[in-house]
Amino acid sequence: MEPTLFARQQRGILLSPDPELATLFQSLWDPKELVWTVIGQGRRAMEVIFNEPPDILVVDNRLQDIPSVDVATIVKSENVYRQLPVILCLDPGDLALGWNWNVVEADDFLLRPFAGPEVRERVQLTLCRASRAMDANPLTKLPGNTSIISRIQDLIDRQDDFALAYCDLDHFKSFNDKYGFSRGDEVLMMSARVIVNTIRSFPGIKSFVGHIGGDDYVFIVPAAIAEEACKRVVAAFDDIVPHFYDEDDRERECIVSTDRQGEVRTFPLMAISIAVVFNTGGRLKHYGEASAIAMGLKKKAKENPKSSYVLDRRAE
Amino acid sequence: MEEDLKTSAKGQILSIRDLPTLPKVLDEVSRLVQNPNTSIEAIAKVISRDQVLSAKVLKMVNSPVYGFPGRISSVQHSLVLLGFNVIRGVIISTSVFDIMSKTMEGLWEHSVGCALATGLVARQAKLKDPEEFSVCGLLHDLGKVVAAVQLPELHKAVGEAVRTQDLRWFEAEKAVLGFGHDRINAWLAQHWHLPATIKEAMSSHHNPERAQFYPLHAAAAHVGDFVVRVFEYGNGGDDQAAPLSEQALKILGLKLTDLDVVLDGFAENLSEVSGVNFSPEDMTPDKGKAN
Repeated sequence: MEPTLFARQQRGILLSPDPELATLFQSLWDPKELVWTVIGQGRRAMEVIFNEPPDILVVDNRLQDIPSVDVATIVKSENVYRQLPVILCLDPGDLALGWNWNVVEADDFLLRPFAGPEVRERVQLTLCRASRAMDANPLTKLPGNTSIISRIQDLIDRQDDFALAYCDLDHFKSFNDKYGFSRGDEVLMMSARVIVNTIRSFPGIKSFVGHIGGDDYVFIVPAAIAEEACKRVVAAFDDIVPHFYDEDDRERECIVSTDRQGEVRTFPLMAISIAVVFNTGGRLKHYGEASAIAMGLKKKAKENPKSSYVLDRRAE
Repeated sequence: MEEDLKTSAKGQILSIRDLPTLPKVLDEVSRLVQNPNTSIEAIAKVISRDQVLSAKVLKMVNSPVYGFPGRISSVQHSLVLLGFNVIRGVIISTSVFDIMSKTMEGLWEHSVGCALATGLVARQAKLKDPEEFSVCGLLHDLGKVVAAVQLPELHKAVGEAVRTQDLRWFEAEKAVLGFGHDRINAWLAQHWHLPATIKEAMSSHHNPERAQFYPLHAAAAHVGDFVVRVFEYGNGGDDQAAPLSEQALKILGLKLTDLDVVLDGFAENLSEVSGVNFSPEDMTPDKGKAN
């Protein structure tokens, strides 16, 4: 059997008055893989979509009560739903209407007459693309939380040995407060590159780098190289980060700013703290355990104002 | 009329797509990047000896795509941030000069020598980050390379004027083009989002006293340029000694005796950079003076 594309069963909603189309969609997938709910009227479907957003929405332009474009627009104009991929089903004549895809924020369209194999692959491609786009960190484009958690849980389930490292930046907030968000984003981009390239500099290993959000990152490497990876990340970060400060602060090796109480305070240059949890001999059972241990370690790493790493020695 | 030439020349300069280098360093780096076990440090060491490859990686890492334009002034840092894949891409897409390499060799040696000398000047002046100053020295004549590629006819005319009218290259550029490579440097540095320190050194190394924001960098590159010319190592296009700006020494807080230390240091360390032979089969005694 082919490996399935999706970690869990996918739910799709098809809005169409066309029974043939409904039959086609339902015949193309094993319901364990992708199950379709068919609704013949557009207006009535809106509430269903809002209450239980599916993984994909397919809207037939033959709907009588509401134009398919309006359905797409309603869904896409709400930030909580706009990640939901929408495919329109069109008749050849519809193409002549002129489509402004900046206004109609659909993700793809299908054209009558439908060819089963093409419909199947288009829908699956759209689902995969949506999950990629949804999860990537908008700034660094690194995989986000959903991918991070599923990767970790997957490794735990397979009882693979690995080291999971949580990284975050010390004094990032004071930098952001003084220099502003866009200078802060520069540092986040730099940190992402440092971590990614350091991990990739170990040839021939399985690894993963994700961006939890803000100044929090994770990387996963084989246990044997974890400490060396930490050393290299710390060294590269400490070497590069002073260049993201203005000359006077770099010279002084700290920043001076006035807090809300009007008091002048100094903050050290940013540093990176790394907490590493090992999964050896299948000791972890759940993702939550890994993150709980890491949070404890991170406090220890943070006690050091300079860049540092702490390894979870309990594992050995 | 002159303004027209400047505008069209600027357009030509900035439209540069392919900046070729000399084979020697490129071959060495190509060999290094084929091995995934090569360290970034090893690659950085070699790239730091080639003004074109250094300019390419600095241009790339400072491009807005990476999200921190104008921040990175070291080759080593650039390579850490770009990563092995991107470096390999830059290297395999770099071509070499096919015809000009003979006349370019002198300029390459001059630039590598200037990198060494500028770094020594910075150390003598006890400046932070001497590596950054080396980069300033390395790139101080990049505009000459770009002009040779993008404005070959005019470049030839400048060389002609140097020979027939006994001018310095910089003076001949002004006579023929109406502007010098310092101006070209400024256009390039601006267009490529290079850090302000490097930009200032590139654009003001002939007039460090006019540097607005980073006089130290401009002055260090100026003195470095002077030192490498004293040694007649390499060739910046002419074989005349450049006048040394007293103001530059003043900016750096250096005395003439400090300059002696730099000259000694340069003599001592020259073998390290001159180990980068641009034409190993062509080791004639006067090899430094290619033009």
